[in-house]
Amino acid sequence: MLFLLIALLSLILQVFFPWWIIAPVAFALAAWKSNSAKNAFFSGFLAIFVLWIIVALLHTLPNENILANRVASMLTLPSTSLSWLFVLIISAFIGGIAAGFSGLAGFYSKEVMSASKVK
Amino acid sequence: MKIVKAVLASFFALAMVIVLNTKFGDIPALAKFLNPFQGFWANAESKEQDRRLSLDIEGLKSDVEIHFDDQMIPHIFADNNHDLYFAQGYITAKDRLWQMDFQTRFASGRLSEVVGPKALELDRYQRRMGMTFGAENMVNAMMDDPEIKETMDAYTAGVNAYIHSLKPGDYPLEFKLLNYAPEDWKPLNSALLLKLMSATLAGGSNEFYMNNILNKFGPEITKNLFPDYPFREDPIIPVGTKWDFDPIKTPEAPKLNLSDKTAYTIKTKEIEEGIGSNNWAIAGEKSANGFPILANDPHLDLTLPSIWYQIQLASSDMNSCGVSIPGAPGIIIGFNQNIAWGVTNVGADVLDWYNIKFKDNSKKEYWYNNQWNSIKQRIETIKVTGGSTITDTVLYTHHGPIVYTSQQRPQNFSKINNIPTGHALRWVAHDGSNDTRTFFLLNRAKNYTDYRKALTFYSAPAQNFIFASIENDIAITPNGYLPLKWPGQGKFLLDGTDPANDWQGRIPAEHNPTVKNPDRKFVSSANQFPNDPSYPYYVNWEYAGYERSHRINKRLSIMSQASVDSLRNLQNDNYSILAENILATLTSLIDTKSLNSLEKEGFGIVSRWNKHFDANEIGASIFELWHKNLGVQIWQDEFDDPKAPMRYPSRDRSVELLLNEPNSIWFDNIKTPKKETRTDLVNASFKFAMDSLKRKYGPISKAWEWANLKSTHVPHLAKIAGFGSKKLYNGGSKTSVNAMSETNGPSWRMIVALGDNVKAYGVFPGGESGNPGSHYYDNMVDTWTDGKLHELVFLKSKNETSNRVISTWKLNKK
Repeated sequence: MLFLLIALLSLILQVFFPWWIIAPVAFALAAWKSNSAKNAFFSGFLAIFVLWIIVALLHTLPNENILANRVASMLTLPSTSLSWLFVLIISAFIGGIAAGFSGLAGFYSKEVMSASKVK
Repeated sequence: MKIVKAVLASFFALAMVIVLNTKFGDIPALAKFLNPFQGFWANAESKEQDRRLSLDIEGLKSDVEIHFDDQMIPHIFADNNHDLYFAQGYITAKDRLWQMDFQTRFASGRLSEVVGPKALELDRYQRRMGMTFGAENMVNAMMDDPEIKETMDAYTAGVNAYIHSLKPGDYPLEFKLLNYAPEDWKPLNSALLLKLMSATLAGGSNEFYMNNILNKFGPEITKNLFPDYPFREDPIIPVGTKWDFDPIKTPEAPKLNLSDKTAYTIKTKEIEEGIGSNNWAIAGEKSANGFPILANDPHLDLTLPSIWYQIQLASSDMNSCGVSIPGAPGIIIGFNQNIAWGVTNVGADVLDWYNIKFKDNSKKEYWYNNQWNSIKQRIETIKVTGGSTITDTVLYTHHGPIVYTSQQRPQNFSKINNIPTGHALRWVAHDGSNDTRTFFLLNRAKNYTDYRKALTFYSAPAQNFIFASIENDIAITPNGYLPLKWPGQGKFLLDGTDPANDWQGRIPAEHNPTVKNPDRKFVSSANQFPNDPSYPYYVNWEYAGYERSHRINKRLSIMSQASVDSLRNLQNDNYSILAENILATLTSLIDTKSLNSLEKEGFGIVSRWNKHFDANEIGASIFELWHKNLGVQIWQDEFDDPKAPMRYPSRDRSVELLLNEPNSIWFDNIKTPKKETRTDLVNASFKFAMDSLKRKYGPISKAWEWANLKSTHVPHLAKIAGFGSKKLYNGGSKTSVNAMSETNGPSWRMIVALGDNVKAYGVFPGGESGNPGSHYYDNMVDTWTDGKLHELVFLKSKNETSNRVISTWKLNKK
């Protein structure tokens, strides 16, 4: 559920905002909906990992991956016709990590807030 | 505890976002660059292009229609010239915006703003050479011409209309990689790009080296080794052509003064002979269909995105097709229904150095014409990424800028090896000129008279303008601002205190060498001497070697019933006149008994070699290394002096020495006690060539083939790995008509067959798009490598249909 929410809201907001909008999205939604640190991190990570892979595929497949393969050579990856897959995984992983840690931060912040409410 | 966790996690997440959004050195901001919404993925263009597109654009006077052919070449149809150049700016920016931005920054010394301090010395150099100073003067001259002002303003508005339509996710890839945004275009930028052509083609100088040679060897030897006319030549204007004008008086030479006795302690670099361009046109009498055929292939640095942008431009008063400079309006090389034209470089001496005598160390005044004159200061402000700003003061005399004073000269910057310290630069590229007017008129020219008129506006870099018309006229004119000089003026450094050393105006434009419909029924150029010594003016003492031109003229003179294919064959001719001239002499001097088995095998190959620098020739590889090393062995001992950098005598002079002066003292290596002979050097250099090939490639095999040694490829403009071409398997050499080296060669090959229906063919080593994520980024490279051409789509009107048009855009006025 949290996974879907982060993915959907990030999809919409990234059309208008730079990539870092995924951080506040994951933070806020995790603060609202997450039930554990693990749940917060992995919902954020997977939501962006999957979202970025899908959107990147929509760009790169009609392009026959020529650009992603060039970027692979630029990043000094071995130049093969499948090198673009590495770039895809690296890209999605970077977005995933940023969202994952933002989600985690959201969860811990919620813990602080709810603890202070209980008092 | 919970608070600590929350703070730590939040801090960590925030830090990560910041790190991933920041560029470190050459590493792009990772998430910014790699995210699929605004990062590089968004630049991956689909192979399928929009078939129809309708855009509403502010700034147009009426609607414009653009057809794209199967190479994605735009064919622009506008109702008026304003809209035509507006659309050219818009469409060029669509395909080449980053290139336009980057080359402008390169020219004006503004690279540090985007790539950081590593470009600082280069930026300083460009500013000290007066690139922007020249471009500013050019803009002033253009803006004085109402029609050209309209052209420049419309083009600028078109580029900016495109830039303003972009969101960061739409920026060309390299902007994202280097992490900066495009800025508004200005007419100054177009002028800078034209000045860049002057810097590339007319920005070299030998005076500093020549002065050191004169100081070391004296006038007699200098004249002998560096003569004012070569041993072998085949000038552009056929020998015997009458000059139909009364020459004006040329200035008197002051008595030879060695203006500068000091040599400088900087290291010399090996001088690579610049390679030039070819053009020729044959008269109708020589062609199969009775109309002239014109061919042109300008040789420049090969880059992706390509130097040229192909385009068809049609408005109420013109319909012309060819290649443009991305960033400047009009077509530079091309054709219309009535004429075709092209250019090659004229190696005129339009750049001189004047020794400056300062009054004192404050450098506020300099001695000239028997009095002290004040020096102007131009403050250059260089911004560097990261926010720092560096100012640089350039001193200007009436000659031009003093490029480096001794305090200003940087260490270890190889680009300035040939620049003398404390000298002012007089360079034609600093002058205001309205060269755009020439192309504006050529694009609209209908006949020979229009062609001649157009040329009078042209200044720099001087070009051999070739011409052919449907009226069966052919012509060629080495044309541009050629300073009026005394013979030899500017061969050496000049004394800047004596007015007799100044340029005394120009050779009248109508006295520039020209020939129309010569008896030999063809005209041609390959950067050689424009004229034989009967020409009454001095233009320069040295030009590109005669080999290419001689081969072209030889083949054209026996050609009859020629077709486009005959000329295409000539463009791809790999034969070496140099090998024809010296190979037999070289092989005759080899002592075969002294050769080991590998050398024997190589000697057999090179002896049997057909003198064509074809891709698969091993003989070509051996010959190339052999004759090059022979040149080094002849001259290195005398001419490599770390205290006073010099250059070697020309290839032409070396050939003369080799063939006609077998006992010359220059063959002796003065650094050994033994007295070496021509035979010794020829044998030693052959062994050197074989040894270096063996060390590089092992025993003789396919790896020794010429294409492999030459390693032609097309790198990215900013040398970004992965964005250039692979290594290409093709032939050609510096001394072949098909002039090719590692990253330099025919940047555009064009052949135009005039007739009732003009037919044109062309290709450039790249693609129309400047986007590495486009299928049209390098799609023409293979055709170019194979020496083939595409038939160029030329639409007579916007309603003409062609099955090669794959998409149409409408730009509607808003």
